[in-house]
Amino acid sequence: MREITEEIRQEILDMVFDYYADECEVDRDEITMDSNPQEDLGSDSLMFVELIEMTAEKYDLDIKLQSIGKYMLKTPMDTMKAVVDMICKIYQYGNDIVNL
Amino acid sequence: MSTFRRAFLFNGIGTKPEKLIQAMTPLMLQKYLDYRHDEFKRLHLSEELSENCPMDRLAAEWLSSLISDRVVYEYYIEKGIFPDIGMGHSSGIVSISACFGAISHEFAHEIIMMNRSTMRSLRDSGENQDMGTIIGMGIDEVNELIEEKHFSPDDVMVGSANSRICTMISGKRDSVIQLLDAAQEAGAIKVIPFNIGLAYHHPMIAKHSDEYVSFCESGEYKAPEYPVMSIFDGRIMTDGNDLRKENCINILNPIRWDLAVKKLEDLGVTEFYDVSANGAVGKFSRINKRKGRIYTFDEV
Repeated sequence: MREITEEIRQEILDMVFDYYADECEVDRDEITMDSNPQEDLGSDSLMFVELIEMTAEKYDLDIKLQSIGKYMLKTPMDTMKAVVDMICKIYQYGNDIVNL
Repeated sequence: MSTFRRAFLFNGIGTKPEKLIQAMTPLMLQKYLDYRHDEFKRLHLSEELSENCPMDRLAAEWLSSLISDRVVYEYYIEKGIFPDIGMGHSSGIVSISACFGAISHEFAHEIIMMNRSTMRSLRDSGENQDMGTIIGMGIDEVNELIEEKHFSPDDVMVGSANSRICTMISGKRDSVIQLLDAAQEAGAIKVIPFNIGLAYHHPMIAKHSDEYVSFCESGEYKAPEYPVMSIFDGRIMTDGNDLRKENCINILNPIRWDLAVKKLEDLGVTEFYDVSANGAVGKFSRINKRKGRIYTFDEV
């Protein structure tokens, strides 16, 4: 497991919020941890895949999408908090996220 | 230096009309409404979609996609952005044939209306067909799953390999649903059943499509103003008869959009213009950002 610092956690939060603000063409200030990415921001699953791949590239992670998909069966991504938490877990656990 | 720098990408059907008009400028929207008014009147469709019978309603939705494509295409041209080449996904072939001047817009719309004969034949046969999309898996992963779960290709197969993270499947309804469930269990990010009762891009639709194919065959096709790449075998088509054949085989054959996009990249295309009004084709095409950039109409 990779350690995650408060700085990295904040960096991930900024990355996720900036990404959704840019892709969904909404003001970043309008996005909260309770926002629903699909219903409130109009995002879709292809956008979500791109975020995962962006994360993998930024932090040099070898991620299999299916690991994330299996994790999502247990943890729906229905708030921005869930998305940020999941990206933090990808950073920490990589493909082992599926075992959480 | 490459002859092909700029490619226009046309999407197929499937987007709800209200989503298509969301980002349009007031002038584009007016044009869309004018075109729609004229064509719906000519084809005896109600502009209030819910007032149409179910088959007409579906055809009307699909026509709205083509009309929207035309408005976006003309917007690019008015801005001085001309394609070097183009490509259409599924019914995007009908759309590009019209926008690139190979067929008239009226004939293109009539082709779309002919889908009703396929729907009627299917209804009368009692067959249950469908399609769906798997997000998070490419064609190889889906084919592995098909093999692992012992599905017969006669029942379900990949109808379109869109990109390494997006695959459309097509076939018998029960098998489509079972394969979508299996994909979800195997870790797909999302699975989406289409629920349209048709298995486009699977050979099983052939026996219900004679009228449709004959109608596609019957029209006048001119050489397109710009080359069109085949989404079935990557040929570059510059002749009207090539486009006639492409329209005739369209709904019967699986699409390799992923390979066609790759070929465009290999040919040197660096600018991809999404002709769908909601940017859908750019999203599922997964253009390699190191090789090219995708533009939507609201970015130019």
